[in-house]
Amino acid sequence: MKLLTHNLLSSHVRGVGTRGFPLRLQATEVRVNPVEFNPEFVARMIPKVEWAALVEAANTLHLAEIPTEPAEGYEHDEAFLRKMHHVLLEVDVLEGTLQCPESGRLFPITRGIPNMLLNEEETET
Amino acid sequence: VEYISGKVFFTTCSDLNMLKKLKSAERLFLLITKRLPFTVSSPSKGKILSEMQRLVNDDPGSWLEAVSHWKSLLEHDAKKDRPAEGGANPRKRKVEDEVIVAKKSKVEEMQVLEENHGAWEPEKHAEGPQKQRGSITRTESPQAKGFHSGGEKVGDLTFRVSCRCSGAVGKAFPAQEVGRVLGIALMKQFGWQADLRNPGLEIFMHLNDIYSVVGIPMFRVPLASRTYIRTAGLRSTIAWAMASLAEIKAGAFVLDPMCGLGTILLEAANEWPDVYYVGADVSKSQLHGAYDNLKAASLADKIELLQVSVVELPLPSESVDIIISDIPFGKKFKLGNDIKIILQEMERVLCVDGTIVLLLSEDHHRRLGGCRDVAPLNCKGSHSTDPEVKTLLSAEDKVGTSETMSSAHGASNQEDLYQVSPFGSLVPVECFRVSLGKTDAFICKYKKAGAPQPPGESPRLHEAS
Repeated sequence: MKLLTHNLLSSHVRGVGTRGFPLRLQATEVRVNPVEFNPEFVARMIPKVEWAALVEAANTLHLAEIPTEPAEGYEHDEAFLRKMHHVLLEVDVLEGTLQCPESGRLFPITRGIPNMLLNEEETET
Repeated sequence: VEYISGKVFFTTCSDLNMLKKLKSAERLFLLITKRLPFTVSSPSKGKILSEMQRLVNDDPGSWLEAVSHWKSLLEHDAKKDRPAEGGANPRKRKVEDEVIVAKKSKVEEMQVLEENHGAWEPEKHAEGPQKQRGSITRTESPQAKGFHSGGEKVGDLTFRVSCRCSGAVGKAFPAQEVGRVLGIALMKQFGWQADLRNPGLEIFMHLNDIYSVVGIPMFRVPLASRTYIRTAGLRSTIAWAMASLAEIKAGAFVLDPMCGLGTILLEAANEWPDVYYVGADVSKSQLHGAYDNLKAASLADKIELLQVSVVELPLPSESVDIIISDIPFGKKFKLGNDIKIILQEMERVLCVDGTIVLLLSEDHHRRLGGCRDVAPLNCKGSHSTDPEVKTLLSAEDKVGTSETMSSAHGASNQEDLYQVSPFGSLVPVECFRVSLGKTDAFICKYKKAGAPQPPGESPRLHEAS
């Protein structure tokens, strides 16, 4: 699971609503996959990112520090885009957990795939 | 360019390498001849068989011409493999421009719906089992291999006839018999040798109630078998067509919430790389299969996988740009939930103006309001295939259109598309009937309308969101 994906995931446990975001990340195994750098693509992803959640996740993984928010004109700041490329796309959480901040429910990540399935009592409907 | 059910005819001057990139075609053939279907009304079989022989005897010229085109295309291809032959003229690969080659590509997905073809249904039902090889007496002809570069020694060719018959013709004649008749006619006419095992040339004939077509397959392996897909769940041609309908733009977030082995995402990521793809499925084993596929295609860094239920997507509302999915038909994989609940959840996570492209079984399609109860076949006809075929062809550098056809599928039947909305803000945009061999299905495209409905839209679109 890349941090870009983590940034998108939200707990859907019953009654949690929008407080299910962001999921607390814990990683026991992280791999860095080299991915071809595509500045345009990264620049397009930046506005979609929930920044505070990303900063928090990057901190838990002890990654290189990222600014508290993207600076003006980041589209042309290659150093920044490369850093974000690394954080969003190259860092891959293989094993670990995601925890719902509201209910405390743990979702396991195995072989890079988060298991977000709920059992019946937990479902929203 | 011309389409009939299951086939697209076009002319082109592109070379084979370009043609190999055709994505929505199952196989590619060089057209020899095409005519109206045989009428099987007459009780005398012999008469029809002799009519079939006339496919060969009436117009030997077109056969020879097709064969020589075929040879020159192959030679051209072979030359390219040998790098820089004498270094003389690196640009000669722009294939002979003056030659217009008619190709027959069999496009499984874009089954054009012609109006009132009573013959349509029987053909589909009969589709299953007749993929037999036409058998011809076996003659070993070791001397006859290899086409000499002079190209005129047609008499040395070895060939095999493969035949597929469906509809009324299929009932009257087994494919083998037709194959044999055609084979004998060819031997008589041109002196070619039959060789079932390892023929130099394969003749492929498809007879049904709509047309009789004869062609030469251009590649031994169907175009649909992709080098980059190891285990395909869904047919790659369908997957590609769905992805192309979704109008994927760079930087988009594309989700397949029931990705299975990930075929759609693989096709999409291969064609539109700068996109963030997420595949989800409830089944761990499917996800592992998908993961292996991604690895094999070296697309693992483009596509993320999640284990998730479609009806409880752990995603915020309005976060996804495009959803593409093959909704299980309930045969191989059971659908635990109602199709409508699935669509509701998709609608929730889709952002405004986002697009959904689904492959639906007939049953699901009907449950979602179909196109119209009265005439379920009335999805868009020829109009709908237009953009598709264009994208398909634009992969080549140029396309020379020549043939025209008087057939009546000109009028598009889109008038009723907008009358029924399945849910809330999802507005149906397009719908295509496709054939998956034994079953038919629908590729349906929806767009999510913005909260303030544009005037003139049906008020029913508002219900229950």
